Amino acid sequence: MKELEKVLDRIIQRVNINLRELGYDVKPFVSNLVAPGQMVKFYAFYGITPHHPLNFQFKRTNLAGSYFLGKCQVTNSLLYKSDIRGDELKKKDDIFRFQDFEIQIHKDEEIDIEDSFLIKTLVHNYSHDPETLEKFFIKDTISTHYANIHGSPSDGCFLGPFATVDLTTMRDCVIGAYSYVQAGEINHLHIDPGTVWVRSPDVFNFFYQYPSDKLNKYIYFQAGSPPQGLFIDFVEDRKEAFQRVFDVVNMEPSIPVPKNSSLDRFSVIKPHTQISENVLVAQRAYIQNSFLGKGANAQENCYIINSKLEGYNITAHGAKIIEADLGKNTFVGFNSFLRGMPDNRIAIGKESVIMPHTIIDVKKPLSIPEGRLVWGIVTNEEDLEENSISLNDLSKIVSYYSKGNMYFEGSGKRFVSAFKDRIQHILEANGAFFSGEQKKGHAQKNQNISFNTIQPYPLGELEGLYPTIMIRP
Amino acid sequence: MENFIVKDLMVPLSEYATVPEGSTLFEAIMALEKAQEQFQMTQYHHRAVLVLDKQNRVIGKVSQLNVLLAIEPQNEQTKKINDISKFGFSDPFITYLKKHYRPDDVSIEDLYMKAGKRPVEEFMQKPSAGEYVEENTPLETAIYQLVLGPHLSLLVTSGDDIVGILRLSDVFAAIFHTMKQIQTKKLHNQG
Repeated sequence: MKELEKVLDRIIQRVNINLRELGYDVKPFVSNLVAPGQMVKFYAFYGITPHHPLNFQFKRTNLAGSYFLGKCQVTNSLLYKSDIRGDELKKKDDIFRFQDFEIQIHKDEEIDIEDSFLIKTLVHNYSHDPETLEKFFIKDTISTHYANIHGSPSDGCFLGPFATVDLTTMRDCVIGAYSYVQAGEINHLHIDPGTVWVRSPDVFNFFYQYPSDKLNKYIYFQAGSPPQGLFIDFVEDRKEAFQRVFDVVNMEPSIPVPKNSSLDRFSVIKPHTQISENVLVAQRAYIQNSFLGKGANAQENCYIINSKLEGYNITAHGAKIIEADLGKNTFVGFNSFLRGMPDNRIAIGKESVIMPHTIIDVKKPLSIPEGRLVWGIVTNEEDLEENSISLNDLSKIVSYYSKGNMYFEGSGKRFVSAFKDRIQHILEANGAFFSGEQKKGHAQKNQNISFNTIQPYPLGELEGLYPTIMIRP
Repeated sequence: MENFIVKDLMVPLSEYATVPEGSTLFEAIMALEKAQEQFQMTQYHHRAVLVLDKQNRVIGKVSQLNVLLAIEPQNEQTKKINDISKFGFSDPFITYLKKHYRPDDVSIEDLYMKAGKRPVEEFMQKPSAGEYVEENTPLETAIYQLVLGPHLSLLVTSGDDIVGILRLSDVFAAIFHTMKQIQTKKLHNQG
C-alpha cells in the first residue's frame, strides 16, 4: 500500500502549497479521514450508454466505490465513493454564451481530475469557465464527505463536508463545511462554515451566514476527527440499505416504473413508493414510502422519506426531505435538510424555492406559503418569518435588503428570474417535459445503462492502486 | 531632479512619535500630540505613531485610519458586516449597513473612553515585507515600493536597525519642488 500512501502525501503537499497564502494546512483534516483498508475494499464502476461519449483514462489512482459516466480522465488521484457524472458535458459544436460572446465548442468536453482526493463527492454539470470550456478541471483539490463540485473547475482548493461550489471557478480557496458558493470566479478566499453566497457581479449578491452554534448540531468538522453531527448520523443510519444494491449484479426495480422514467439501479427504493412519469431517480438516492409526481426528480445522495412531491419538483444533489408535502414546481436546493415529524409535517406551497443549504427542522407543523424563497435555519414560524420572503416582494428590490443574517444587494427581479430559468433548465435536462418523442432528458436517456466494474491491486506494493486503464468505444 | 537617496528625505526615528508595546490608544494619541508640539520647532508633521517592542524594534504602526477604525462602535452585527465586506458587496451598501446597525445606546463619551483604553496591538498595522527600504536606496526605487503597496510610508533600515520613516508626503514634496525648479528654469531660459 506504499504507493497509495505516496499518492496521498503528494496530494496533501500540493494542496498545502496552493493554500499557503491562507496559512491552511489540510494534513490534520485529511490524514485519517478514510481508512486505507476501505480504499481496497470497493470496486469502481462506469456506465456505458449510446447517448454519452465514452472515454475513460485512469492512471495512478484509487477509485474505490466511485462511479463514472461520460468523458473523464483521472491521474495521481484518490476518489472514494465519488460520483463523476459527465452526462451534462458540452459536446463538439455546441455554442456557449458568455456576456456578448458566442463561443463554439471545438471538441467534446472532458472532466480532468489530477492530484486530487475526493471523498463521497459529486462532480456534475459542465465547466462554466469561458476560459476552459473543453476541460472541466479539478486539480490539487481535496473535497470531503458529500461535497458537490457542480460545474466548478477547481485548482488548489479544500472543500469541507457538505460544501457545494456551483457554477464557479475556484483557485486557492478553502470552502467551509456546509457552505454554498455560486459566484462565477473566486480566488484566495477562506469561506467560513455555513456561508451561503450567490453572486452575479453587478447584478445581484445574496449572502447568508449560519450561526455556528446552531450549525454545529448538524455538521461539525475539526482537524483530527471525521465530520460529525446530525447530517452524518442521518446518512450513516441508512448506509446498510445501499450495501445490497452494490453487492448484487442484476437488480430489478422493486416497484413499477413508467417507461418514461428512470430509476437508477444504484438507488434504494423502500416499500410503498410510487414513481410517476418522467421521473428521474439518480444513483445513491434513497426513497422510502413517498410519492414522486410527474416530472419530479431525486438527484444523487437525496433522501425522500414519507413525503409527497406533487410534480415537477427538483430535489437537488444531497437534499433530504422527510415527512413533508411539496406542491408543484417546488425547488429544494443542494444539501438542504427538511425534516418534519409524522404528526407535525412540513407543507411547502407550489413554486416555492428552498435555497441551497437550507435547514428546516420542525417539531410543530409548518406551512410555507406558495411562491416563497426560504433560506438559513428554520425551526418554527418565527424563524420562517425571519428567513423567508415572497418571490413577488423580492422581485421589487432594486438596491439593498437585509433580514436577520441575510444580506441582499442588487436586482431582486434578476435574482428571481435567474432561479426560475435555472429551475426550468434543470427540469428540461432531467426530461420532466418529455412528450413521448421530444424533450428527452436524463430520465429517458439514462434508462439503458450498462455498468462495468474495475478493481485495484489486492496486495503488494501497489495494493489499492488501480492499473492504468483506458476505456474507449 | 536631484539624485535623492532615501535617507535624504526620511524622518529620523528619534524624532518620530513612538510608544512601547502594551500602550493604550490614548497613550498613542498623547505621544502623537507631544510629537506635534515638537513639530513647531522642526520641519516634520506627524501622522502616525510607531509601536516599539522591548528591544526598541518597530512592531507596528498606528495611523490616523487605524484610530478611526478603533473608535468604530462594535457589536455582533457590525462585526458581521465587517466580515461580509469581502464578499463583493458595494461600499455604499456596507456604509448603509454600518449606519443602520450602529448601536443607539452608546454615547460618544463612552465610545471614546472605551477605545482609549484598548491596547495598540489590537488595531496597529504590522509592517509587511514591502514596507522596508534600505537608507541608501535611490528615491526612484522607494517610489516604486510606495506605489506598489500602496503605502503611506516606509520603514527605513540600516543593517538590522530601523533608523527612520520615509513618508509619502515628503517624497511628494520633493518631487513637486524639483518639478517647480525645472519649470522655472525652462521659463527663465525661454525669456
